[in-house]
Amino acid sequence: MGVIYAIARQTVREALRRKIMWIFLVIGVFLISLGPVFGFLSPKDSQTVLRSLGLAAILLAGLFITIVTCIYLIPVEIERRTIYTVLSKPVQRYEFLLGKFLGGFFTVFINIAAMGIVFLAMLYFQEGHHIAPEMARGVMLTFFQMLLLAAITIFFSTITTPVVNFFLSFGVFLVGNLSSVTDTLTTSQNKIAHGVGQFIYYILPQFGNFNVQNRLIHPEESIVNMNAYIVQNIFYSLAYSAVVLAVAIILFDRREV
Amino acid sequence: MATAISIQGLTKKYVDVWAKQEVIAVNNLNLEVQEGEIFGFLGRNGAGKTTTIKMLLGLIFPTAGDATLLGKPMGDNVVKSMISYLPEETYFYDSMSAWDLLDFYGRLFRIPGAERQRRIKLSLEKVRLQPEAWRRNIRGYSKGMRQRTGIAQALINDPKVLFLDEPTSGLDPIAHAELRDIVASLKDEGKTVFLSSHQLADVELICSRVAIIHRGKLLRTGQITDLLAGERTEIVVKGAGLSNGTLQNLRAITPDIEPLEELQALKLFSEDDNQTSAVIDLVRNAKGSVISVVPHKRTLEQVFVETVRKEEGL
Ligand SMILES: Nc1ncnc2c1ncn2[C@@H]1O[C@H](COP(=O)(O)OP(=O)(O)O)[C@@H](O)[C@H]1O
Ligand SMILES: [Mg+2]
Repeated sequence: MGVIYAIARQTVREALRRKIMWIFLVIGVFLISLGPVFGFLSPKDSQTVLRSLGLAAILLAGLFITIVTCIYLIPVEIERRTIYTVLSKPVQRYEFLLGKFLGGFFTVFINIAAMGIVFLAMLYFQEGHHIAPEMARGVMLTFFQMLLLAAITIFFSTITTPVVNFFLSFGVFLVGNLSSVTDTLTTSQNKIAHGVGQFIYYILPQFGNFNVQNRLIHPEESIVNMNAYIVQNIFYSLAYSAVVLAVAIILFDRREV
Repeated sequence: MATAISIQGLTKKYVDVWAKQEVIAVNNLNLEVQEGEIFGFLGRNGAGKTTTIKMLLGLIFPTAGDATLLGKPMGDNVVKSMISYLPEETYFYDSMSAWDLLDFYGRLFRIPGAERQRRIKLSLEKVRLQPEAWRRNIRGYSKGMRQRTGIAQALINDPKVLFLDEPTSGLDPIAHAELRDIVASLKDEGKTVFLSSHQLADVELICSRVAIIHRGKLLRTGQITDLLAGERTEIVVKGAGLSNGTLQNLRAITPDIEPLEELQALKLFSEDDNQTSAVIDLVRNAKGSVISVVPHKRTLEQVFVETVRKEEGL
């Protein structure tokens, strides 16, 4: 445990030094803070813009921060040969991989938390000293969505290069977000379309389910039991991440470094 | 004395899928290193030194063969806590200071807090990294300071066996000499050092035994003193009478003949006293003169070059 912690801590230190991460964080915060600019709209419209812009900015910046942070964690260690100094010590490969994952994920967590705080603080002042709980839930779901994405990116980083990984992770995220398309495909009469739909549904992570912002912002599309829905998604994120990491560990264990 | 490293038939093949080529980086290597030895593992670039070390440390996996470290199989966690490794051309985590770097590595060895602090200080002192630099970013270090940090890193667990992969390559002469001396001093502490190098002068100074590896194959292994045994004698001869016929007769005695253009003389090397007298007699009979006869100690470089050339059929 101490070893995993040491590697995770080291990883966070290195990750926080990457300029690109800060650039996305600044962009994210900037977009969130654009919300009040639309105050000239009708109260209902300006609230919608404020809320959806904020959640979308956190999601978008979080997406880039997660991917650019996680694609490099392991390749840089190999390129700079620091991995040799670590794995030649009494460190198991799974400890290294978990340490890298936790470090990368904690970095993402810090970023989402920072953007989330800015967002919720702004809501507090704009919406009459009150934070709508569903907005806090929205931030939390983004966070679990990124946990899952981080696990997937780390998984790809054990088998491919950062550039390929960037497009793969991005692609999986996009396709996994097309839940409405997937729904349409799975109910299709066409066998191929049905198969593709099934594949996307069962194999690819269902990122779309985390984006409750539309449902949160438009309560008329409300989900019957919000809490159950959220718990279910959190559980999905944790379980899926665990499986992906387990496979990554198996692959990494036999990898030549 | 106990065996520190025992290698049996270790082989590593790399297959290049695109070029459909197979590279045998290490070919059926057998080697034993005893505890307390400073063992020189010599070879040209690409000979297979790094590949061998990486297999021993479980970073890559052998195609065939086996090895034990301190009597245990490769990759065993107990063994890993008793060995250490300085890879070639490592950058380390250069946004850290040497102190923090060593602290990180100390944690990986699960060395508890206070003891860790003590070991860090000890290691940094041993490699003589100036204390002002201990808390500065490694990024600002010279190459020599980085290598010192690298060796300090390899000392943090007070290891029994150290694997040092070309620790003195690319350093300026002063840093080079100091680092060589630091490596040499490890012998006094009873440590076993597996030193990969092609800096033959260093190896000759500090190693007790060496192995020469070439294209993955072990060509020679032995005590340095044995390898260097047998002096060679350099003879310089001159004279108008050294006709082609005489030259051929000289060649029959020793093939090692070089013309010295500016002196209009010949330089020959004889392997023993009989050869030396034969050369001198022949030159005298041909009315030539012997300018000098100087015994030369062999150097490891000569042994290395001879061994590799012989293998290449040159
Ligand atoms: N990952 C690899 N893939 C393919 N060939 C490799 C790989 N690593 C090393 N080699 C080849 O193996 C041989 C030995 O390399 P190496 O062990 O690094 O030599 P040395 O350390 O003695 O300079 C070289 O021909 C090198 O090109
Ligand atoms: Mg090498």
